[in-house]
Amino acid sequence: MATDKELSDFLKSVEKRAFKRTAFAVRDDDSALDIVQDSMIRLAEKYVDRPAAELPLLFQRILSNATMDWFRRQKVRNAVVHNFSDFGGSGDEDGDFDILEMLDGIEGNVGTESASDSVSRDQILLLIEREVGELPARQREAFLLRYWEELDVAETASVMGCSEGSVKTHCSRAVHALAKALKAKGIAP
Amino acid sequence: MTKNTNQTFSHVDRDGLEARFGVRVASMLGERAQATAPDISERLRFAREQALTRAQAARRQVQAADAPIVVSRGRIAALANPLGWWFKLGSAAPLALLVLGLAGIAHVHDKAQIAAVAEVDAALLSDALPPAAYTDPGFAEYLKTDRE
Repeated sequence: MATDKELSDFLKSVEKRAFKRTAFAVRDDDSALDIVQDSMIRLAEKYVDRPAAELPLLFQRILSNATMDWFRRQKVRNAVVHNFSDFGGSGDEDGDFDILEMLDGIEGNVGTESASDSVSRDQILLLIEREVGELPARQREAFLLRYWEELDVAETASVMGCSEGSVKTHCSRAVHALAKALKAKGIAP
Repeated sequence: MTKNTNQTFSHVDRDGLEARFGVRVASMLGERAQATAPDISERLRFAREQALTRAQAARRQVQAADAPIVVSRGRIAALANPLGWWFKLGSAAPLALLVLGLAGIAHVHDKAQIAAVAEVDAALLSDALPPAAYTDPGFAEYLKTDRE
């Protein structure tokens, strides 16, 4: 059973990412805060007897379900249909795009930031956040769960309620879409 | 990088590159997420505290349900689980007493009714006037006119 301190530390460690992830999905800060709060309370009330190690996966599931519930309640059917069907056009178009160029940029930029770059860095972070927000919902969810929440493929599939193959596909498409969008803006993360 | 190089890349290499890119972007997102507006941080802190309060309440409920309670009967006191044999017996006893009491009342009431009917029968039979007289219309008319 997770102690109060373990639960508090866990919630503290995850709350900002949870908020951002939800805000990406619902595009409204107040609703995102409500959803995160509901998810925290649901976790605390229903799973208080679970060991601390199980909390991250449980919380991600609860948060995903709460977000889906929000969409259902809001009856934003068009938005949901858009989010779930927006996979078109991301296949062969990437054929000419080389992710290795972006990765070269990554390696080249590591550790080279100077104090004078800090303002532009803030702008870059903002642009990256916007581009992540522009991803189709399923791609964004898979990307954030895999690389931000650091869940493995199986755990991500479990949270998203899809197959591991789908998670890999979503992640790959998200990475390519991000790399392409950032390259178009002249940004190498 | 050229297209040819790209084609010779295995899936494993490609997955690794994608993962590196993903982690890099995610770390930058994390950096940005840490710079959340103060009002949002405050609401998240409030939400966390609410959740902890609920967790404490839920934990107390679980502990109360699991804890043994003291069952006292006269001079005998014993520890028992709420769902144990004593608890069930203690719950069933008042119900059984109620059922027995109702059955007793019904029995006494029946006996009283039987006694009353027997008393009327005895009075009729021991009277000088035969009971059949009360069914005779002429006698009934006589009784009516006598009262008048």
